[in-house]
Amino acid sequence: MKENMLAMNKKNFLGSVCAAFALAAVVSSCGDGTKRSTGWEFSRNMYDPIAYNPDQPNNNFKNNITAQLPPSGTTPIGFERFEFANSLEEYERAGRELTSPLAVTKENLAKGDALFHTYCAVCHGKDGKGDGPLTKDRSVEDSRGKRQLENFPPPPSYAKSDAANSSRGGLMSDLTDGKIYHTIYYGHNTMGSHASQLSPEERWQVVMYVHELQKK
Amino acid sequence: MRNISSVLGRLAKTISVGLMLLFAVTMSHAQDVKEGQALFKSKCTSCHSVTKKMVGPALAGMAERHSEEWLVKWIHNSQALIASGDPAAKAIFEEYNKSVMTSFTDLSDDQIKNIIAYVKDEEAKAAAGPAEGTAADGGAAKSDDANLLMIVGLLAIVVLAVVVIVVLNRVIRTLEKVIANNQAAIEAAQARNEQYKESGKAKFAKAFLKNKKLVGFAVLMLVALLGVAGWNTMWNVGVHTGYKPVQPIKFSHQIHAGVNQIECQYCHGGAFKSKNASIPSANVCMNCHNTITGSDHYDGELSPEIAKIYKALDYNPDTRTYGNNPRPIQWVRIHNLPDFAYFNHSQHVVVAGVECQTCHGPIETMEEVYQYSPLTMKWCVDCHRETAVNSDNAYYDQLIEAHEKLKKGEKMTAAMIGGLECGKCHY
Repeated sequence: MKENMLAMNKKNFLGSVCAAFALAAVVSSCGDGTKRSTGWEFSRNMYDPIAYNPDQPNNNFKNNITAQLPPSGTTPIGFERFEFANSLEEYERAGRELTSPLAVTKENLAKGDALFHTYCAVCHGKDGKGDGPLTKDRSVEDSRGKRQLENFPPPPSYAKSDAANSSRGGLMSDLTDGKIYHTIYYGHNTMGSHASQLSPEERWQVVMYVHELQKK
Repeated sequence: MRNISSVLGRLAKTISVGLMLLFAVTMSHAQDVKEGQALFKSKCTSCHSVTKKMVGPALAGMAERHSEEWLVKWIHNSQALIASGDPAAKAIFEEYNKSVMTSFTDLSDDQIKNIIAYVKDEEAKAAAGPAEGTAADGGAAKSDDANLLMIVGLLAIVVLAVVVIVVLNRVIRTLEKVIANNQAAIEAAQARNEQYKESGKAKFAKAFLKNKKLVGFAVLMLVALLGVAGWNTMWNVGVHTGYKPVQPIKFSHQIHAGVNQIECQYCHGGAFKSKNASIPSANVCMNCHNTITGSDHYDGELSPEIAKIYKALDYNPDTRTYGNNPRPIQWVRIHNLPDFAYFNHSQHVVVAGVECQTCHGPIETMEEVYQYSPLTMKWCVDCHRETAVNSDNAYYDQLIEAHEKLKKGEKMTAAMIGGLECGKCHY
């Protein structure tokens, strides 16, 4: 009798433990797993840096920003200045005077290709024909419902076969080193400046790749 | 008879000729607009929009502002027109910060007229836009109707409630009369009832406490539940998986990375070049949002979310100029490693070639970003245990060379294995 009871106890014990786990699992699986708070934290001060991170607010400066711009008129070490101003005359001058310092190699072209696809193809298209995904009709469906997104005005094609005009005169397929570099640096019309996203070397690699697209 | 039929015949002829003419006119008009549209899209859209001020002025109403002859001259060579001292040309040149409009000498007068026709057509469509506004007013009227319906409904409910109260009062009075008639019988019944109730409650409690097994199981159940909850809580202290804070701008990665197919690197270039993946500065937003204002969904007004970028940069979309009072956007950090753990993005992205999604999850489908991976030490270590090293680079070439030297018994100094690098001591 006693043994019998113990066996029953054991069974019931296991049963209740299983039930408890199942219940806990059901409760904890509610929701989509995202939350607005970080939850409990232990020793938060071990997570917070002692020095300032570049993207942190900073009361030591007037504008409360840690990442300060260098004082005007100074040049950081390793920084290459671009000695052409943002005007039509200077653009033409860059076209005449500036040539790429890079040799046309497989590595440079491959890098130019990759950079073009990251930074340019979204508008200019992967073949530079001005048909990137941003210029095409697209729609999104999210919490605000389904809606059409605005198209970015398509840029002119680089390809020789399209013979598109540049808005600053001449054919797109005839753009020289300096002109393309000047446009990457300052942007033009609806294109913004990409100087903060590409280093001088990367810009020249992109220029090299654009020349390849002009041949098409 | 003959007279009538000939009159009818003439009438039919004139009508058919008239119809044909009308058809021809509308057809040619449609063609004008269509050709104009094609030309507008290929030549003009990089600087102009019909309804919005962009690099150049909004073109709506240009046919009213200037004569066709003037427009043709301006489009063919705006600089020549300005040089000729035309006051309207000069004024526009000054207003748009002396930016030079491209000369389109290749466009014929007819082509320019087609573009003007297209702009007029679009203008008319845009003017028809407010019609939608009146439709919205209709909607408002509808909602007024709904309000009226609600008020009438509420009144009906109130009236119904009053009726119910009156009826119930009658019922209560009748019942009270019945009770008064049968007082004795009711009291006896009540006494019986109370006795039963008391014993029922006590019985249940007693039976529960007496049943040791049941009590035991209840306690076990409680302990197990608390144990599981406690265990889960303790393991998740400091683990921010699923953390989805409210950001200052409702930026959707689903739109930008998913639908628009903008590469991660376009904005987070730091992940490829440095330790930090870097939050893009607002000038990167402006590469597109100098043009994209989301006005399609806000009745031609600037989207309030994009307005926040403009505010952060102190940018005036009407004059397209930047002020000198920028205030950075204070994004809320989601992924945060403890300060004592070193993590370098470029090492993982460039050297190891890890996809962004491996750690950050399906970012391109997230309307709001949340932390996908736990970022715990176990999570890091598990991946480091399994990942094979790609030894095809200069670092391993040097390492193998050093090992070869050691095997041969040659002398090797600390300097030869990078002992003179500044960072080895001054980190």
